[in-house]
Amino acid sequence: MNRPLILCGLALALLGCGSAPTRAPLRDYILTGAKPDHLFVIDAASRSVASDFRIPEANGWVGSIATTADGKVAYVLVNRMESIAGIDLTTGKQVFRADLSQGNERVKSFFGINVTPDGKQLIVYELPTLLELNEYKVQEPRFAIFDTSAGLAAKPVRQFPAPRRVHMILPKKDGLSFFALGFQLYEFDLASGKLLQERGVRDWNRPDYSLPDVLAFWPVSEPTGVFSTPTYSMHGAGEGKPGVQRTSLMTLDLGSGALSYQDFEDTVALIFSTAISPVKGQAFGVYTQLTKIDTVKGVLADRVDLAHTFYTVNLSSDGKEVFLGGTTCDIAFYDPDTLKQRANMKLPGCPDQSISTMRVIRR
Amino acid sequence: MIQSGIERKPRSRAAAALVAAAFLYAPLQALAAEPALADASAGLATTRTYCAGCHTESSPAHFQRLSVIRKSPEGWVMTIFRMEHVHGLALPEEARDTIVKYLADTQGLAPSESAAGRFALERRPNVPDLQMGDDLPVMCGRCHSLARVALQRRDADEWLKHMHMHVGQFPSLEYQASSRDRYWWQTATTVLPGKLGGLFPFDTPEWRDWKAGTHAQPTGEWLVRGRTPGRGDYFGTLRVASQGPDAYSAQWSVQYADGKASRATSKVRLYTGYEWRGTSEWESTEVREVFALSADGQRLSGRWFDAQRAEIGGDLTAERADGPAAILAVSPRALKAGTTQEVVIAGRGLKGAVSFGPGTKATTLATAPGMLRVSVSVDAKAAIGERSVSVGKTAAAQMAVVYDQVDRLQVLPGNAIARVGGGKIAPVTAQFEAFGFLEPRPDSAVRTPIALGPMNVRWKLAPRNEEAVKADDVKFAGSIDASGQFMPGAAGPNPERKYASNNAGDLSVIASLDQGGKELKGDSHLIVTVQRWNTPPIY
Repeated sequence: MNRPLILCGLALALLGCGSAPTRAPLRDYILTGAKPDHLFVIDAASRSVASDFRIPEANGWVGSIATTADGKVAYVLVNRMESIAGIDLTTGKQVFRADLSQGNERVKSFFGINVTPDGKQLIVYELPTLLELNEYKVQEPRFAIFDTSAGLAAKPVRQFPAPRRVHMILPKKDGLSFFALGFQLYEFDLASGKLLQERGVRDWNRPDYSLPDVLAFWPVSEPTGVFSTPTYSMHGAGEGKPGVQRTSLMTLDLGSGALSYQDFEDTVALIFSTAISPVKGQAFGVYTQLTKIDTVKGVLADRVDLAHTFYTVNLSSDGKEVFLGGTTCDIAFYDPDTLKQRANMKLPGCPDQSISTMRVIRR
Repeated sequence: MIQSGIERKPRSRAAAALVAAAFLYAPLQALAAEPALADASAGLATTRTYCAGCHTESSPAHFQRLSVIRKSPEGWVMTIFRMEHVHGLALPEEARDTIVKYLADTQGLAPSESAAGRFALERRPNVPDLQMGDDLPVMCGRCHSLARVALQRRDADEWLKHMHMHVGQFPSLEYQASSRDRYWWQTATTVLPGKLGGLFPFDTPEWRDWKAGTHAQPTGEWLVRGRTPGRGDYFGTLRVASQGPDAYSAQWSVQYADGKASRATSKVRLYTGYEWRGTSEWESTEVREVFALSADGQRLSGRWFDAQRAEIGGDLTAERADGPAAILAVSPRALKAGTTQEVVIAGRGLKGAVSFGPGTKATTLATAPGMLRVSVSVDAKAAIGERSVSVGKTAAAQMAVVYDQVDRLQVLPGNAIARVGGGKIAPVTAQFEAFGFLEPRPDSAVRTPIALGPMNVRWKLAPRNEEAVKADDVKFAGSIDASGQFMPGAAGPNPERKYASNNAGDLSVIASLDQGGKELKGDSHLIVTVQRWNTPPIY
């Protein structure tokens, strides 16, 4: 359900309410979901809620958020991973809906949704299970491609087989293929579903390192177009030596497809998610601490304790502010140079963001 | 009192699980009309009514899936709970109980099959799980006990369906730590079904024999003894009377070694011919009884626990009151040289002079059914070591031990978990005890370490490591009382802690015993962690 007054607030902020829009300088807006059905649009500069949209039939659960750079529509995984709601970020109306489960086939998507850069196709990783009269039959996973103009009863325009245990979908910038992160980093042709290559996790080919542990489900690649995630592995183990656990930053350039891993410390802190700054050489990670990584030297640059756990991190488009979200009901704004908190904004009603993604759009 | 009526919409999964756990302890009124093991026709009819809609009765009394699995009574309770809460089954409590009884009787576990996992049925806290190779602890045991696996019997094709149920119901399973590092699904569907079908097959000689046999009844008079960690030993009597097929009332009268007496009556149902499940109220606490009746009907053993706080409870052993004269237990068994103390001797037909051997003098103070209370004086120079105890012509070896000093303290459990609580989920406490030992000494008869029993010690908490020091775990994680019971702190983010962390902690629990200015110490490792939101009858 929309809230007209707040909606007008967003429209005013974005376009001017009730009048023909005049082009104003672009501003950063933070998108975040919260239980049971909130999709918040936050004006980053004024630290204020521009919109508090309510997602229909979210069933108490708001997960991954996929959107395009222009931020027209947000695709939100809801209904305990079984539905995707496309919410128009100007009107708050649901303009797209795909309920994945049909008949006796229950389908869940483990955080694996994303939208192509042109906003026309939605890529969904599906985990189907047949609920038969007296047994479950787990089916092989698949990718389902939806046309985002399909409206409120969207059906896939095509489906093709997928590997098991994928947790992240990242479309390539050219819109021709997409990456899926799981046992490996897979790349699939968007049109044909053909596996183009797999590399980089089980085949990460780093001698003297154990296989990395990777589990990121925050599909954040703004503002640089580079996705990043922390990975953990044991280095130097074997022949009676226990080895040392190392934290590495995995980066995937969604434009070029370049994949790299950069160790930056022995694992002394748990990091849930990371984001790459447009300011050269800076990346940030969060959990109970805010971590700044020097990606030129490959070292820990700075670290500060946080008031509580934050699951997800993002940045302003100019890299001059770090946003911390997820977990509970506040967004924290940090100075990327001093790692001092500039502001902290409570979401109205204090709903838990939990594992929802925090995205930044520019309008 | 026991749960009655059906709670259709429990407030939480935990509340729902408590309701589920109560199924086994139905009111006697509902039991009166139940069939015996031998007459299962009502159970079959009820199963047909509520289960056959999905589990097709493909041949008489053979229901798809249902009839090719065997489980403990608690296992069947959990199955029905899942059918109700996940698959929309609606059935009255009486029907639920009838079905559990029918399935536990006709598709249960023989005593030898349930033996390894009894600690899980008995809800014993801080017991290390079963050791079952390298893969099963990670594939299965990282979420639930392997006892839960070992308390089921299926063939390989059914174990395969069991894997499908797991991922079907919990799609996040493949993504969790210690799952995502391996091809979990591939192993679960290609390796494990055959392995588990070999370890725990549906058809076994043990079950065939047990099912075909006739089973002893628990009715009659019993002598009872047991120990409540943190409180001490108790002794008493039990009278069991039939209240209908496989239903009983049990009248308990027990006395703690400290002299306090307590009485209760429990309502009991016997499943599978030996699984005693009772409910009673002791000193205003609702108690569950999970005991096993021995095949010869001569012994009842197991554990009872607080219905709401299963980690709090005690051991129980009962033996028939009408057997030959015997000394069954002595409490306390450790007698310090140079002192006089009161001791309880429990047993049958105890008549005549009491002796604890050379250097001791025993005087009977009082007699009660099944026990004597005696005063024992031990000479300061009495030889240390184990002693036989005799009452008249009845004697028992190694029942007592004379000691001059405690050589070693061992705190048990050696590794323990407590959980923060409050709100919908009760805290999980941890009870520690410090056991004393005599160590071998060349100038004595002591050749191997001799257990002295629980000692009266002082308790203290300490940070386990540097992290625990930094986070001030001792201040936040909880406190320990004089009896050795640890009570964890409240659940939820604590704004006073760094990162607003919850009241988790990593602690050493230290027992110290002052022996004439010399302090003897022992310690245990306690982890205080978060709540369990899902609290089924078998973890």
